Amino acid sequence: MTSSKTNGNLPDLDLGWMDQHGPWDTHAEPGKYGFTLADIQIGEYGQVPEESNNQTGRPRGSKPRANSMRLGGYTVRTKSDIWLENASFLYEEALQRQWSSATDVPWESIKPLPDDVEQAQCQMATFLTEVEFVAGDVPARWISSTTPDYFEARQVLLAQVMDESRHMDVFRKRALANGGGLMRATGATAGFVGGIDLSRDFTEMSSRLHISGEGAVLTIFRMGELMAYNDAEKTIYRLCAQDEARHVAFGVMHLRYMSQNEPDRREEIHSYLDEAEGSMLTDAANPAGRLTQTSESLCILLGGGSDKFDEGFRKLVAIRRRQLQEYRKRVISAGFGDRFDNGRSRLNELMAQAAA
Amino acid sequence: MASEFTFPSLDWLQAVREVFNTTDMYRGAGSGRCDCVVGLKIEGAVFIVEFEGFGCTGVRQANEAELENVDFYLDMPYELWKSMLENISANNHAIGEFTLNTLDLGMEQGIAHSKHEDQYRQDLFVRYNQTMQFFFDASHRISTTFEEIVAS
Ligand SMILES: [Fe+2]
Ligand SMILES: [Fe+2]
Repeated sequence: MTSSKTNGNLPDLDLGWMDQHGPWDTHAEPGKYGFTLADIQIGEYGQVPEESNNQTGRPRGSKPRANSMRLGGYTVRTKSDIWLENASFLYEEALQRQWSSATDVPWESIKPLPDDVEQAQCQMATFLTEVEFVAGDVPARWISSTTPDYFEARQVLLAQVMDESRHMDVFRKRALANGGGLMRATGATAGFVGGIDLSRDFTEMSSRLHISGEGAVLTIFRMGELMAYNDAEKTIYRLCAQDEARHVAFGVMHLRYMSQNEPDRREEIHSYLDEAEGSMLTDAANPAGRLTQTSESLCILLGGGSDKFDEGFRKLVAIRRRQLQEYRKRVISAGFGDRFDNGRSRLNELMAQAAA
Repeated sequence: MASEFTFPSLDWLQAVREVFNTTDMYRGAGSGRCDCVVGLKIEGAVFIVEFEGFGCTGVRQANEAELENVDFYLDMPYELWKSMLENISANNHAIGEFTLNTLDLGMEQGIAHSKHEDQYRQDLFVRYNQTMQFFFDASHRISTTFEEIVAS
């Protein structure tokens, strides 16, 4: 405040800012789920521009300020590049379904395990810690490149970064909790996973990260319950799977929006999916793929020891098939199912290779 | 609880719903906002369980055709339903092979299905898995008797 003069008992204030505002007389009200982002999408404040010229970090709906400098260098300024219909819903869901790896996992239920099982568990934990770094870092980069006008989508990604941070810490904790430790890094962040970060476009990144990468990891998290040896591991995998399903849901809904609103980009998106299918079983990113470090440890965990490797391998094949089937149905749900009818997809070939 | 409820029946589901909606621990970690419509197929009987916000908003008896409209439905042999509920009753919550997710993975075709084949909606089984688990875990607080069903 610049003025310290007084006029009688009233301070002499410059109140010019009071007339500077966005639409006034706004009465947003809480709905049945509390006061959610959806409840404040009203009037002009709820209007999301198809293109955004906002380069100054101005909150959507606020009054622009003169002479403001550029902030952020936002490259994502076209709505369809990042939008999804249910962003505010996913964001609230993410906030309300948070959990703590410190207090919500019954760590005391972890008891000493046979050496081979502990080593396999630690190998998986090492792998997952590695990939969770990428799962957090990559969306984070895109958040800072997106105009504040599309804040609903940004908020979901911000919540995802928090989820990935928790996933990273919970698997690290598991590795260090039971007489083992971290194993040799798997290099899972090279190849396809590393490639996610080379994406030139948000949708390219999302199709790689949310649909292919996290879709595969979601199946692994679900399978985690089959390879859990105590309540703590069961809880970790179940709660991680819930988070992961939300991340996958973002990808499916974004691709669906894209397929409905940008038909000209369909061919480009099919090419991202071609690429993902090409490396689904061979890349180190998929622990159920063919990299021995992770696939062997999965088989030991699923079978119940190295002497029951064959039993574990049988379950691993079932995991691979489920990964592929679920991927197929998600791509259909996202609006790109034509690839399975016109012979473009390699999925049938991959199904046949799943048992190799 | 003094009364006994027969599984499967609408009364049983209403009693479970009451426990689920009024017990603090089912608002705990991994729960939270959950919006979905779930079908249960138990031998010949079909039930619909609706979740909205933080609770289970309704349970009702339905018919097979209504399973077209649910996000996903759970279907498993009666003996497995029974073993799952007995496991929950003995441990106050499902453990080992009797959690919903493990049951789903343990069977070739799974226990969670959909008629619409939309994976986005079927993924809600995973996205809200802990909520579903809490719902069935709540059954440990009621006394369940099992209808004798002869396998056909
Ligand atoms: Fe993650
Ligand atoms: Fe994720």
